Amino acid sequence: MILVAVGFLAIWEVVVRLHLFFPEEYGYLFPGPADVGAALVNLWNRAALIRSVGATLSRLAVGFMLSLVLGSILALLMVHFSTFGKGIQPYVLGLQTFPSIAWVPLSIVWFGFSEASLLFVTIIGSLFAVTVSVADALRTVPPIYLKAARNMGCDGMDLILRVTVPATLPHLISSAKVGWSFAWRSLVGAEVIFATVGLGFLVESASEAPNIAQVIAVMFVILVLGVLVDRVVFSRSQEWVSRRWGLLTAR
Amino acid sequence: MKGAALKIVSLGKTFGGKTGAVQALRDVNLEVGGAEFVTIVGPSGCGKSTLLSLVAGLEEPTTGWVEMDGMRVDGPGADRVVVFQEAALFPWLDVQANVQFGLKVAGVPRNERQARVAEFIKMVQLENFTHARIHELSGGMKQRVGLARALVLRPRVLLMDEPFAALDVQIREEMQVVVQDLWLRNATTTLFVTHDVREAAVLGDRIVVLSHRPGTVSTVLTNDAPRPRTQNDPTVLEQIRKANEILKAEVTWADQHPL
Repeated sequence: MILVAVGFLAIWEVVVRLHLFFPEEYGYLFPGPADVGAALVNLWNRAALIRSVGATLSRLAVGFMLSLVLGSILALLMVHFSTFGKGIQPYVLGLQTFPSIAWVPLSIVWFGFSEASLLFVTIIGSLFAVTVSVADALRTVPPIYLKAARNMGCDGMDLILRVTVPATLPHLISSAKVGWSFAWRSLVGAEVIFATVGLGFLVESASEAPNIAQVIAVMFVILVLGVLVDRVVFSRSQEWVSRRWGLLTAR
Repeated sequence: MKGAALKIVSLGKTFGGKTGAVQALRDVNLEVGGAEFVTIVGPSGCGKSTLLSLVAGLEEPTTGWVEMDGMRVDGPGADRVVVFQEAALFPWLDVQANVQFGLKVAGVPRNERQARVAEFIKMVQLENFTHARIHELSGGMKQRVGLARALVLRPRVLLMDEPFAALDVQIREEMQVVVQDLWLRNATTTLFVTHDVREAAVLGDRIVVLSHRPGTVSTVLTNDAPRPRTQNDPTVLEQIRKANEILKAEVTWADQHPL
């Protein structure tokens, strides 16, 4: 894995030095790893990076949480009232495939160039993916657990909360992960288009300067943040659940 | 029978399937007295488990009905608790929380809940595993938890659906002792389904032999020998012999009359 990274950086540097893509006078359009590193340090020193990361992540936290809550409620209703669920399933599936960026114009018309607008795109861009995924997860509950619980007098919402949710927790964490990646993409996309602070804005403003090294540096930060949250938050909690339930030792 | 706790009246069940309807049970009549231990044996596919599901209210009968203390059964209830073959314990809860589950659902106050849970965990001799997780338990221990989880609800009828079928022979015999011991202590009316004739003979006050499919009561054998019994008690051996004879006749008949 490290070898790949080193190899990639080396090839990149070589391509830049030999001016393979752009003639020498347009070299600033394609900076090398060293320039990008310098841009990163510069951003860090100006505290612009921290401010942008903070702005983006706090928007994301709010948007993702709301989308998780709304999506889960919708999914619970779909699973609990199966006729309703079957009726709206195709629409939810359809909306899930709808590109979140295409919500941006409508969002701007409705909410202006505001935080609410960014939040709207984040939520609407991930809500349906969360709904579909959570509904699928809830349906994986082993029937024997439901049978045992109903047998002990558990039914309705009580059954869902006491049995279905814990029984499908590993799947639900995957759903949260899916939702998070949808929210992340939607938000950064929207930020590129109209935010005045945030990682997306940082990319966009650098490209106008033009400061291509900074563009790539921020792209790199976006990539690393995404991977980090995936690895640290979601994979860790999944492992924890698996170990606790003996899913790992059983196999 | 006078004062029967459980009454099964012309009970029948037909499953509608894509390849046509399958009649699993027909016209089953059975009365089980308070604190009686009744075992049910029958050829495979005779609808033993279906019968239990109907009594539990987990499935709807096609004909007839089930009565508990004179009241018709409608849906599942904590007065008729099933112990399943797979134990069906919840892996996200530890032993104590599993046993506590039904009491929590019923809204039993915390103090009483904890006292009862401790009592029944002790009764199945798992007090050293109170906080163990389910995957840390052996098959026999899981079934003990399953028993404790059911009995803690003080059900009117305990329904056992081949609970020891997946266990090794030795553990199974050990569990038969445990079940008899629990029954002697709690006097819970019990309906115990098994495909193991010896198990049925060891455990049952009465042994109900079901016919081939569609299952109905073929014969009822009684055994009032003192408990706890083992598979080598003379009365038990006699019952095993009789039950096997009837079952053999049922299987032979079924072979000559394919569905």
